[in-house]
Amino acid sequence: MTENLFERAAAGQVRVDYSAIERTLAEMWLADGTNDQHTVTRAALWNVVAHTETHQHHSHASDILSKAAAAVPQRTIIVRADPKAADEMSSYISANCHLGGEGKRVCSEEIAIVAGGERVRRVPPLVNALLIPDMPVAFWWVGDLPHENAQYVQTLLEPADRLIVDSVHFNDPGDLELVKRVADDSGTAPADLNWIRLEEWRTAAASVFDPPEMRDKLRSLKRVRITANVADESYFGERIESLFFASWLMAMSEAEVDCTFDLRRAENRGLVRVELELEESKATIERDQEKCVLSTTIDGHALNLPDAVTRSKARNIDELIVRVLKQPNRDRLLPKILPVALDLARQKK
Amino acid sequence: MSVVTPTLEPNPLREGLEQERVPEASCLVIFGASGDLTHRKLLPALYSLAHDGLLPAGQTIVGFARPDYSDDAFRMDIKEACNKYARTRPVDESVWENFAKGLFYVQGTFTDPAAYNRLNAKLKECDNTRGTGGRRIYYLAVPPQFFPTISELLGAEGMVSDPERGGPYTRVIIEKPFGRDLPTAKELNRVAVTTFRERQVFRIDHYLGKETVQNLLVLRFANGIFEPFWNRQYIDHVQLTVAESIGVEKRGGYFDTAGITRDIVQNHMLQLLSLTAMEPPVAFDADAVRDEKVKVLRALREFPRGREEEMAVRGQYTEGSVLGELAPGYRQEESVKPDSKTETFAAVKVFIDNWRWADVPFYIRAGKRLPKRVTDISIQFRPAPYPLFKKLPGVQTQPNVLAIRIQPDEGIALKFDSKVPGPTVRTAPVTMEFRYATSFGAEPPEAYERLLLETMLGDSTLFARRDEVETAWAWLDPLLRAWESDSRPPKPYSAGTWGPQEADDMLERDGRKWRRP
Repeated sequence: MTENLFERAAAGQVRVDYSAIERTLAEMWLADGTNDQHTVTRAALWNVVAHTETHQHHSHASDILSKAAAAVPQRTIIVRADPKAADEMSSYISANCHLGGEGKRVCSEEIAIVAGGERVRRVPPLVNALLIPDMPVAFWWVGDLPHENAQYVQTLLEPADRLIVDSVHFNDPGDLELVKRVADDSGTAPADLNWIRLEEWRTAAASVFDPPEMRDKLRSLKRVRITANVADESYFGERIESLFFASWLMAMSEAEVDCTFDLRRAENRGLVRVELELEESKATIERDQEKCVLSTTIDGHALNLPDAVTRSKARNIDELIVRVLKQPNRDRLLPKILPVALDLARQKK
Repeated sequence: MSVVTPTLEPNPLREGLEQERVPEASCLVIFGASGDLTHRKLLPALYSLAHDGLLPAGQTIVGFARPDYSDDAFRMDIKEACNKYARTRPVDESVWENFAKGLFYVQGTFTDPAAYNRLNAKLKECDNTRGTGGRRIYYLAVPPQFFPTISELLGAEGMVSDPERGGPYTRVIIEKPFGRDLPTAKELNRVAVTTFRERQVFRIDHYLGKETVQNLLVLRFANGIFEPFWNRQYIDHVQLTVAESIGVEKRGGYFDTAGITRDIVQNHMLQLLSLTAMEPPVAFDADAVRDEKVKVLRALREFPRGREEEMAVRGQYTEGSVLGELAPGYRQEESVKPDSKTETFAAVKVFIDNWRWADVPFYIRAGKRLPKRVTDISIQFRPAPYPLFKKLPGVQTQPNVLAIRIQPDEGIALKFDSKVPGPTVRTAPVTMEFRYATSFGAEPPEAYERLLLETMLGDSTLFARRDEVETAWAWLDPLLRAWESDSRPPKPYSAGTWGPQEADDMLERDGRKWRRP
């Protein structure tokens, strides 16, 4: 079995005894070296644990993280825990490989744990035992956040340095409250993919205030008008991207800002246009879907500034996760923005 | 009394962004815009910076050279170069469209005052239309003999403003060679400071823009484990290798007047040496870092007069084969004199006479037509103090080596002995490796990208200071003079080998040998 374990794991999942996962992984890597060719380089910079409940979410997470592992090598652990399912627990291993420099295959390992019923409670200690020591841990909660089973969630999150969520799936402000509580009360730093999606919009808005003559104008910000495409304007999660952007401007400008949101049901979700009204000038940021750029123009008397162009970034989940994992330090801003966003959400209900 | 330019408050919206620092828009003028460096390195690097969102909206680039181009023809030409050489190639049309709006060309010769007048008018026009606010960067991608004329004419035309008197900044970037010996370097520096202040002069050594070279400082000063061992008590010796597999290509004319010592050792290798050997700086800023580098250069032990051969070997390649291809001898290369005595290989034993490095040799070697292209620093540690295992039969322990690979395949490896599994005690060396490409995946920025950005941001940490350049020449000059007065030719070595036998002998006399990098 040892001889071809690596190739089997590279081709797909191999079922293993959950009490011997680490040992089987060692055998798997040994299997690569049996012909003394050392064709594979192992690497890991992160432990990434994805928590899912359904088979569909499980394969989604596996697909996303195997792509992410090509950019940020990681030990991936995917948990599918369904308390409503039958009492059972099983585990699988596989190898995520991609071609690195000099034609070498760079591989990292993926472990899947499937638990149902009462066995779910055994998952946190098992995950804990499988984490590579001295390496940061990111926990990706796939889907809506659980408001029940607090003890289970707390135990799972205990070793986590980051909690990755995607607030586009949140159905009410209570979910944002939960993320804020994690930020306030634990050593785990939240990372929201909805916030990461805004990076190029934030870059474009920042470029408005880069020229020396504009540098002190941020405090004169009076009005922000945000237009966004959404799939369903009545769903809370769809509004969060716009809320975050407005909250960020409010928090950073320290000004009284009047915010207007115009959410339209359309394809190509995300912000489309932002207008910033300042004391003596106006800045507009607009998405050019065709050219994949954001164009920024500044109008105002006595100003003659060229337009800025910011490249739109990919919004695929795997690339957003890679951007989270490539940030070596915890996000300092999101915890500042969350309370402002919650206030704004209540006002704009 | 000097007036200090008010510093701008940081842009609060930049906090937490990938691009936390974006420079103010300026006019970057490239003298020698029709040349190879501009096409292969400078403009592709600037385009990649724009692609990554690291340039401000109004950044303006003005090419200045003798050929007659229109702005549009220059843009076409540069677009082709970016498609060929930019790290972020192929060119992204939407980024290019905006980048090209800031690209202009002024035709003129370096000695024609009227051309500077036209250039100045163009720059002032850009101040009005592109928000460049009188900020200027002059990149002299020209042979050093043009430097005095260009700086004099820039001064005469009023194109240099003094930031210390409240004006917008003017910076000048100059390329190596910074002179060919101490007197010419001093003269170049004297000319520079008649028009510019030292703080305005950015002497570019592209090695300092490489990620791994910068990582050397992080490795040493951000980790607690290395610095305690980084001294004569634990380190036996250090080897630095800069090997090129290529010959002189089309640079035969220049190279034959310079040689590898002026071309590589005086700048790149002494930069690597000083970063490896320097004391921890008091801060990570331009003066603090460069102060410590200069101290290393000042502590280099002089060559013993008349006995230079004990400390240095020069070589010249003869025909052979490199990477499976036949290679001609140096004297058969294009534009090289058939009786040339120019060295294409140099190996030097260096001592740094200070408290930390007393009697620890640094062996440095650079050469052309060596077996492969590699730049590598290896720290060879002393053996364990008591040979506990050597008393056992069949055990041969080896000293630890920390190898820092600058290029290619950048990374760091630590070699140590481990027990071979089995009932008897046998040891074998094993290696722990870190590779940039494996851990961080994405291709790092080109050295020129980093250095151009640092110039725009006004940070000269990664540039050579006047005293660094002059101190390096002061140390090397006696060796170069001794070689020049020696009627014997350099030691021959076949292309595709690691240099002449004498270089191996130099280490063998010390009971050591070159590490194969």
